[in-house]
Parts: sequence; structure tokens; C-alpha cells
Amino acid sequence: MSVGLTLRGLRKRFGGHQALAGVDLEVLAGEFFCLVGPSGCGKTTLLRCVAGFARPDAGEITCDGERLDPLPPHRRNLGMVFQNYALFPHLSVRENVAYGLRARRMPASALAKRVEQALAMVHLAHRARSFPGMLSGGEQQRVATARALAIEPRLLLMDEPLSNLDAKLRVEMRQEIRRVQRSLGITTLYVTHDQEEALALSDRIAVMNAGTLEQIGNPLEIYRNPATTFVAGFIGHTNFLPGMVESMTGGEAQVRLRNAPPTTALSDVVVRIPAGDLAPGEAVTVALRPERFSLAAPGAAGTMRGRLQEITFLGAITRLLVQIAAGPVTVELHGHAGEGLTPGAEVSLAVEGETAKVFREGE
Amino acid sequence: MASDAAAPAAIKPRSRLFSDPWQQALALVYALLLFFIVYPLAQLFVSSLRAEGGAWSLAHFHDFFALRYYRSALDHSLFVGTMVTLFSTALGVPLAAAVARWGVPGKALLRALVVLPLVSPPFVGAYSWILLLGRNGWITNLLGRIYAAVHPAAAESAASGGVLWAGTIYGPRGIILALTLNLYPFVFLLVSASLSSIDESLEEAAANLGSTPWRTFRTVTAPLLTPAILGGALLVFLTAIADFGCPVIIGEDYLVLPTLIYGLFINEMGGEPAMAATASVVLLGLTTAVLLTERWYVARRSYAMSGLRRPREREAAGRLGLSPRLRALATVFAYGIIGLSLIPAAVVLATSFFPSSGPMMHPGFSLGNYATVFRSVPRAMFNSLYLSGISTLLCVLLGVVVGYLLVRRASRVTAGLDALLMVPYAIPGTVLAVALISAFGAPPLLLTGTVALLVISYVIRRLPYAVRGVVAVLHNIEPATEEASLSLGASPGRTFRRVTLPLMMPGVISGAVMTWVQVISEISSTILLYFGAWATMSVAIYQQVLSDNFGTAAAASSLLLVAVFLPLLVFNVWQGERAAELV
Repeated sequence: MSVGLTLRGLRKRFGGHQALAGVDLEVLAGEFFCLVGPSGCGKTTLLRCVAGFARPDAGEITCDGERLDPLPPHRRNLGMVFQNYALFPHLSVRENVAYGLRARRMPASALAKRVEQALAMVHLAHRARSFPGMLSGGEQQRVATARALAIEPRLLLMDEPLSNLDAKLRVEMRQEIRRVQRSLGITTLYVTHDQEEALALSDRIAVMNAGTLEQIGNPLEIYRNPATTFVAGFIGHTNFLPGMVESMTGGEAQVRLRNAPPTTALSDVVVRIPAGDLAPGEAVTVALRPERFSLAAPGAAGTMRGRLQEITFLGAITRLLVQIAAGPVTVELHGHAGEGLTPGAEVSLAVEGETAKVFREGE
Repeated sequence: MASDAAAPAAIKPRSRLFSDPWQQALALVYALLLFFIVYPLAQLFVSSLRAEGGAWSLAHFHDFFALRYYRSALDHSLFVGTMVTLFSTALGVPLAAAVARWGVPGKALLRALVVLPLVSPPFVGAYSWILLLGRNGWITNLLGRIYAAVHPAAAESAASGGVLWAGTIYGPRGIILALTLNLYPFVFLLVSASLSSIDESLEEAAANLGSTPWRTFRTVTAPLLTPAILGGALLVFLTAIADFGCPVIIGEDYLVLPTLIYGLFINEMGGEPAMAATASVVLLGLTTAVLLTERWYVARRSYAMSGLRRPREREAAGRLGLSPRLRALATVFAYGIIGLSLIPAAVVLATSFFPSSGPMMHPGFSLGNYATVFRSVPRAMFNSLYLSGISTLLCVLLGVVVGYLLVRRASRVTAGLDALLMVPYAIPGTVLAVALISAFGAPPLLLTGTVALLVISYVIRRLPYAVRGVVAVLHNIEPATEEASLSLGASPGRTFRRVTLPLMMPGVISGAVMTWVQVISEISSTILLYFGAWATMSVAIYQQVLSDNFGTAAAASSLLLVAVFLPLLVFNVWQGERAAELV
């Protein structure tokens, strides 16, 4: 597959803050690519560098084989959807969408047709004469998308385009954006802090932290196989427990969890996990997803005992906070499991050790 | 791709990509401000510090504070300024409460009418109080006749010129009366804006916590209003002590600093420019000190208002527990004050249609006064329109450029520009005129005796207001709107023309209207800077009043009022339609 967008060694510093600390990235042609990370991680700066609104201190940006970074923003031919939509309040919906075409001096008949197509694509043909102030949030979002796509850009940039919508509409618009993107096959770079949005939308995701990319991969890889503790903690919920590799047997490692401070004695719990290249005696952090725990019969072999501290009923799932010797863990149970439990109860937890991720110190 | 392959190319310096005409505009604006504000002010200081022989000396300042003649003008200015400020606050704050909170009927009308006194030239107000209460005023004569009817014997001895009132309206009382009724809308506007921005839930929270309405007002509302009240009072004080037209017409022997400076400059004995410069420095020091004190105070206690809930105006008994009777009282008060402050304009209009000869008015209707104006001072009307037109145009152009630079190209360099633009706020017109004359009154920079100097003084004094208007609008236009235009392929120039400028237009036009209104009625610097045939309407009115041609002065004042109100009216109608259009 051909490459749509390439970033090489991108750096940007604002005063004392290193917003981008050398970013390398390749986005494939036609790919829906999400940049996800906490606020201040540099993802918006990266997008603004691509769009031309921020100048990188160093690095190259290439799109379809052409260097973008020497070009001013208006010569880059990229469609951008802004967080607040940035619709022109003094122009009608039609004129908003036509704006970029008029800047390109497109003949009137072709322009009218293109505007019509763009509005039809986002199901807003009937609002062409309205002004932005008269539209709902979702409609404004659609106009912004239609406006960015009308110029047939080589790349679509989206900066948290759904963050101003309410939760239900956000899920609807998410599917809408994905549908339009697929039908056009346009390379899309999408910035969000919402990891769920990133998982739902993307072909691939880059998780950003403190100006660097922590991991690039498809949603499943990122979730199942986080490369760092940061990724494991940011994408979905993860319990981090300290432990030590006790022994290795046939491709499996037995990791004994340490008791939580102040006592650092080893607890009775052993988690069996894929061995990888671990060595006995090594200190590690074990990452376990909440849904990988289940309730077990009291005293069953290989289970950990704990005291239930909180129980929250969330409909399809029930969330428990259990204090085990190694520390507090969050547990998510499906269906009817957990019914009848009250805080203070003694519980035993089984865990699917083979799904655990083990990180060495500092990973 | 190997990560060590060719260290990424360093980006070329910023200037190439962003090289734009704005940089040149910035340099030009700086040069203009330094040349026409900083340099004249420096010259003013130099003049005040030079003794007869040219040596450096504080002799002029010593004289100023030692000699009663000069010193009293300072005292008078302080007294008038303080009294006008107190009275304006006493009128403006309750009026704001009445209109914004107490459910007085006809709020929209009140809000529209209250601005009118503010834009009427103060000297027209002063003049109309003379028409009413002066030695030969309508009310004076009426009371004189009543007095004569009641005490025929006593009236015999006094001349028909009103024994009770003669002389009392001249001097400080007249100045204070006319300026108060002119300037109280400043307090009203700021306080009512602040009142409607206080989050209603704050007062509800206080009530919920068991506070009585009066206690809530004292402990919550009033502290939040303090910055607005102080801001309004400051504007009143600065305008009052800088005003020339009102004291020169109604003050007679009672000299304040601007009239003192004028007298020192335009003196039959040849004038004392050094002493005029000294008095100017004193006045400038006073205005600067007041301005800085207020800034310091407001910076220390301004509260971020986070809530978005605007207070509703209570229909029934207001939030202070206003009974219907109190509400009726508030209504009478509000309409009374506004009616009183509209009297000057009404009196001048009415007088202009009376047949007159000199100071004598006769009952009847005549357009004779207007005929006289068109016959004797046709040039003045042209001059006023011409000079105001040019100044407004220049001011708006510069305002757009400077406002854009301050907001969209903000840097340490533009921060300096911002600070420099604060200076004209503190400069009274009289002081600026003296400074400009001392800087450009002699070769090689001889500009006195040219129209340019008049235009320069107008533009400098109004520029900060024009800029502030543009800055306010620009802050409401999100940068993303312009970035959207760029990303859609419109060049920076096209973006400015098609997006930024149209969105700025309401601010630009309102700035233009306000500049026009202020410039066309300007007198304090005009009176010193005009020459020969370039007298304006305001100067002509002043001269007609001095020559006791009251009818002509009234007609000229009426024409001036039309030139002031007409653009305001057109602007308001246009804005109303625009608002309806955009929903």
C-alpha cells in the first residue's frame, strides 16, 4: 500500500515545553489514522504542524511524495475539520462549503454541483440556505466536514471534531464520519483524547505521550498488547500489580505478586503468564485488565483472596473494587455474577494469567 | 527507514514564510505614534523646564504652585472634577439599578435615550443652561416676573434681569450642573453592563444561605459592582477635568486648568507658552495619576465571572423587595433624570427657531437664525464635515491595522504598541494641542497653520477607542475561523478580506460612528490649533456665544446636534436590521 503522509523527526518546542520530541510516522493512503493521548501530549500540535498553522522546529512532512513543510497553509490542499467547526458565521451553509472552491476560482456550474454533492453526502442539502447560527451542533459538524471535503483534499485532518457533541450524538456522528471516509477512501488523520473513539474509528492508532509516539498499531493490538505501561493505562482500564518472577516452566513463568506497601513481603498469589524472555528473580509489573478476573470458589487453587471494598452496578457489567494483598484491583463481571455481594465480604478471585502483560521496571 | 538517516533539515527562519505587509505596518504605526505622541510630549516637558534664558529650571513649576492665579485653577479643576464625579455616580448607579433590576417600564427607550447626553457636546449643554438660567434666561425672567408680581417694591430696585438667579449659574455651579448631566451616562453604562453580567445564581445562593435581599446587595452584588462604578467614575473625572468647552462658556472668571492653559496661550499680551506648557504638564500629571491608580486598583480586585446565567429582570417586586410604590418612585426618578439631561438639546432646538437679534429673543417662529448661519459661517460647516470625515477615515484605517496587529500578531513588540496607545487616554485635548504646537510650531517641523495638525490631534485622541473596538471584535473571532479559510486554500490576503474584515465590520463601523461623533463636536484642541478659515462649527458656536448672537449659536448648535445624532440613528437602525437578519 502506498504511503499517504510521512513525518520524519518532527520537533516543536513552545518556550520550556517540548510539544513534539522527534516524531516519525507513516500514514498509509486511504487509512483512517487516529492520534490519541492525554491533553498536552502534543497530538494537536502535530496536527497543526501538518496543516501548517504551527511551524516545526525541525523535521520533514511529506504527502504523496511532496514536501509540505515549506508550503504556507493555503497551498497545502488539506481539508481540516476544527474542534469548534470554525464555520464562517457571516456566510450561509452553501457559501461555507463553496468557500474553498471560490478560492480556487472554480467555474460556477462545477462549483454548484460540487457543493450539492458535498452537502448531499452529509445529508444536509435542505439546510443550504441556513446560516451557521441556526444549525444544531451535529449539523454544524456535518457542514464543517462537507466544507473540508468539498475541495477534494489529499488528506483530511480532524481535530477532536466530536468533542462538542453530547454522548449519544457523538456515537452517531462517529459512524457517519467513518462511512463518509470509507466511501471516499480519503487518508484521514484524526486527533482525539477519547480512547474509545479511537478504538471504534481507526484502522490504526498512534498513542502519544509527552511529545513522542508510545505505540502504533491497530486497535486490537493496542488493546491486547500494549507496548508500555502508559499505553496499557491509557487505553482501557488496567490493574498494575508489582511482582517477581519465581520460576519458569515450559514456556510459562510463575510470577509471585508482592504485597502492597508498607509490607513488601511476597503474597501467596502466583500468576502464570507467558514466559517471554523473563528470568527468575526479575522484578516486574503485571498488567491485568478488569474483565480478566472472575469470582472463584473460596480457597480454590491459584486464586487470590481479598476483601470487597466497593461494588457498582453498571447494567451489563458489575464493577468491583477488591483489596488483595498486592493492592486494590478493579474487577468487571458480566451478567449476574456478583449479585448479592456487599462491601466487606470476603471474595476469591481467579485470573486469566495468560492475558497478563508483564513489564520490566521502567518499561 | 533508518532513524539516523540524515538529520531532518532545519527549518528556514520564520521570516520567509510569514513575511507579510503586517510587519511593515507595525513599523509604520510605531513611527507615527512615536513621532506624534511621544515626541510632542517630550517637547512639552522640555518647554515647561526651560527658563527664560534656555537653562534647565523648575522656576515655572515653582511659580505655578506658588502663585494664587495658577494654583486656584488647579484647585478649581479638582473641585469641579470631584463634584461632577460624585453627582454622576449618585445619578448613574441608581439609574442603572432601576433600569437593569427594578423593572422600570420602557427600558429599551431609556437605554436609547440615556446615550444622547453623552454624545451632545458639553459646551452646547452649558450654553443651553445659560439660555434657561443665565442673566437673561427664560426661567430667570419668568421667576423675575413672578417675584415682581409678589413683591412689586423689591423688584423695582433690581433690574429686570432676575434678582434671584443672576450670576448663580455662572462659575462652578453651572459647570458642575452641565457636566454632570452630560457625563453621568458613563457610570450608568458601565454599572448596568456589570449588573447584567453578574451570575444570577450568586444572588440566589446568598438567599439560599439565609441572607436578606439588602444584605445580599451589600455583601455580594455591591462588591462585584465596585470595579464598574470606579471605572465609570474615572471616565467622568477624566472627562470633566479635561473639558474646555463647558467652563469657557459658563465658567466666566472661574478658571479651570484647560481654560487657564488656553488663556495663557492666546493672550493679548503675547501669551506665555512656557507657563501654558507647565500648566499642561500639571494637568497631564493629574490625569495620568488618576488613570494609573484606577488601573492598579481594578487589576487587584477583578473577579472572573464564570457563570453563564444572565440575571432575569424581575417583573414583580424586584430583588430588593421593591413594593409597587417604590417601583413607581424609581420610574419617576429614572424618567426625571433622563428628561432633565435631555433639556439642553430641546432648549437649543427650540431657541434656534425663535426670531432673535443679538441676545434678545422674541416669541414666534423663524428660520432666520439658520439663514444667518448659512450666510455668516458656511465655511465652518464644510470644515467640520471635511475634517471629521478625514479623521474618521484615518482613525478607522489605523484602528483596523493596529487592532489586528495587537490581537493576531501579538508579540513583545506589539505589547509596547499597546502600552503606547494607553497614553492618549490620559491626554486632555488642550494639553495635546499645546504639545503639538511646541513640537511642530517651528522649523524644521513646521506644521502649525496646517490642517494636518488638526487631523493629527483628532486621530491621536480617538485612535485608542477605535483600536479598542476592533480588538474587542477580534477577540470574539476565533483564530480557527481564519485558519479554516487558509486550510481551504484562501491566501492570507483573501482570508483577511473575505473572513476577518466582514466579521470585524460591526466593530469597525461603530468605531467610525463614535469617532465621527466625538471629532465633529471637538473644541478643546481645535480652539488652539485652528487658524484662519479653518474654524469648525464648534469654534463658530463658541464665537457666536461670545458675541451674544444667541439665535445664531442655537441654530449652529442644532445643526451640530443633527450631524451627531443622524449617524448614530442610521447605525442603530442598520444594526437592528442586521441582528434580525442573522437571527
